[in-house]
Amino acid sequence: MTTAITTPHAPSAAGATVRPTARLTFANILHSEWIKLTSLRSTVWSLALIVVLGIGLSLMITVLNSTIDVMAESSPSIVLTTTTIGIAFGQLIAAVLGVLVISGEYSTGMIRSTLAAVPSRLAVLAAKAVVLFVLVTTAGLLTMFGSWAATYPVLENQGNAVGLGDEGFAVALVGAALYLGLTAVFALGLGTLLRSAAGGIAAALGVVLILNTVVPVIGFAVEWVSDISPYLFSNAGVAMAQLPSADGNSLETVGLLEPGWGALVVVAWTLVSLILGAIRLQKQDA
Amino acid sequence: MIEAHALTKKFGSKTAVAGIDFRVEPGQVTGFLGPNGAGKSTTMRMIAGLDRPTSGAVTVNGRRYRDHRAPLREVGILLDAKAVHTGRSAYKHLLAMAATHGIGTKRVHDVIELAGLEAVAHKRVGGFSLGMGQRLGIAAALLGDPATVILDEPVNGLDPEGVRWVRTLVRGLAAEGRSVLLSSHLMSEMAQTADHLIVLGRGRVIADASVDEVIARASGTSVRVRTPDIAGLNRAIAGPDVALSTLDDGAVVVTGLAAEQIGDIAWHARIPVHELVALSSSLEDAYMTLTADEVEYRSAVVPTPEEATR
Repeated sequence: MTTAITTPHAPSAAGATVRPTARLTFANILHSEWIKLTSLRSTVWSLALIVVLGIGLSLMITVLNSTIDVMAESSPSIVLTTTTIGIAFGQLIAAVLGVLVISGEYSTGMIRSTLAAVPSRLAVLAAKAVVLFVLVTTAGLLTMFGSWAATYPVLENQGNAVGLGDEGFAVALVGAALYLGLTAVFALGLGTLLRSAAGGIAAALGVVLILNTVVPVIGFAVEWVSDISPYLFSNAGVAMAQLPSADGNSLETVGLLEPGWGALVVVAWTLVSLILGAIRLQKQDA
Repeated sequence: MIEAHALTKKFGSKTAVAGIDFRVEPGQVTGFLGPNGAGKSTTMRMIAGLDRPTSGAVTVNGRRYRDHRAPLREVGILLDAKAVHTGRSAYKHLLAMAATHGIGTKRVHDVIELAGLEAVAHKRVGGFSLGMGQRLGIAAALLGDPATVILDEPVNGLDPEGVRWVRTLVRGLAAEGRSVLLSSHLMSEMAQTADHLIVLGRGRVIADASVDEVIARASGTSVRVRTPDIAGLNRAIAGPDVALSTLDDGAVVVTGLAAEQIGDIAWHARIPVHELVALSSSLEDAYMTLTADEVEYRSAVVPTPEEATR
C-alpha cells in the first residue's frame, strides 16, 4: 500500500496522534482564541501600552502636582481621578485592539480557517469576547492598582494618600479596569458588524471619543439632548470609576450616573454591539 | 464522502451554482474542474459551511458540515493559501487550529514535518512565499486526520518538487481510503492525479465521469489516416458531421467518424489505407472542448475569450 512518504522519516498523513475523542468544546474554542490573541504582537503591545501609559501618566501627574502644590485641598475623589487617568488612553487602545481582533481575521482571510474549524459561529464570537475581556480587564487591573501603588509614596509624603480600604476606592479601581475590558468587547462587536479595521475603528472611536463631546454641543440648542449625556458610553464608563455620591459630593451635579448604573449602561452598550455583530456573523456568508 | 443534492447558490440575481448533484467517493481522487466563475470555489465554501446554500444541501460523511461535533476530523480543507493571519507564526496558527478540537502539540509537530515546514514553523506567516503558504494550508487541512480532504488549487505556487509532493500525498490519502476533492487549473497535473472528474460550467455539472471517459467523450472521433488517394477517401466519407484536414506530413485527420468506420468505408471503396490511428487527445484538449461547448451552448452571441472564461 502506498502512503504519502516524501522523505524516509516523514510521518504518514494518517494521524495516530489524533485522539478519537478530539472534538469541539467551548473550553477548547476558548483555548484556541487564547492562543490566537496572545500570539499576535499587536495584542501584546496594546496591553503593555495600556499598563505602561496608564501608570506612567498617573505617576507623572501626581509628581507634577506635588511639586506645584495644587493638591493642598486633596480628597479621595481627586486622588481617584489621577489614579485612574489611564482610562483616557486605555479606552482608545482597548477599542482599537477590540476591532483588530476580528477585522484582522477578515483582512487576512483567517476567518475562513477559523469558521471551518468551528462552524458554530456564535461560539467563536463568545470565545473571542471572553478572552479579550479577561486580557484587557487584567491589563486594566494592573494599570489601576499599579498606578495606586506607584503614586502612594508621593501622596503619602503630602499626607494625601488614600488606602485601598477607603470606602469605594478599591471598587472604583476595579470599575475602571472593567470599563476597559468592556470597551474592548464593545469594539469587538462593532468590528464583527463592520468587518473592517478602518470602519470598525472609526465607529468605535466615534462612540468612545466623539459622542460625548458632540452631544453637549447639541444640548445647548436642544435641551433634552443634554439629558442623554450621562448614558453615553464613555460618560457611563467614567462613572464606573467614581466614588459613589455622598454628602457634598454628588455625581449628578457633574453629569454622571452612580457607578453601579454606569456599569449597567456600559454593559448594555456592549451587549447591543455584540448582538448586532453576532447577527451579521450568523446570517451572512463569511 | 461528499454528497450534493440540488445544491444552489445565488448572489442577488446571479446564480453561481445552479442546482447541482454530485458525489465524491472515498478511496479515489475526484478532480474538480471548470473555468473561473464556474462555481467551484462557491461549492467548496458551501461544503465547508462558509456559504449557506440558497437551496438544496450538501453533506459530508452523511451530515451537514456544521452539524459535526468534530469537523476537523471529518473534513480537512485548503480553501486558499491566504486563510491565515499574517502576524502569527505557522506553529501558533496550527496550534490554535488544533486547540479547537483539543488536538495536541504532537500532531501539530507531525503535520509540520509532513509538510516540510520545520525550518520556518516559528516565522511569521506574512513573510511566507506562496508555496510555503500552500504547504501550511495543507498541513492545517491534515491536522484532524480527516476522512475527507478538500484542496482548492493546492499546487498553485509550488515548485516542481512541491507539485510532486502534493501528487504523492493526494494519491496516498486516496489509497488510505479517504475521499479527496481536488481543484486545479493544471490539466496535466489533474490527469496524473485524479481518478474521477467533475466538471462545472456556469454553475452546472457538465461532466461527471472517470478521467478516461471524459477524455474519450470529448475527443474520441479524431482519426489520423494515411492514404495515397486522399481525394477518393474524402468523397467516400463525405457527410454532414465529417471533416478532413491534411497534415504537413501528408497524412490527414478525420473528425466525425470512428477509426473502424473509416477503415470499413475505405475497404468497400477499394481505397488503400497505410495508416489508421485513433487520436486520443490530452485532458486539456478534452477540457477545452467541453467548456467551449458549454459557453457556445448558452450564449446567443459568441463571447469574447475574456467572457468565455468568466
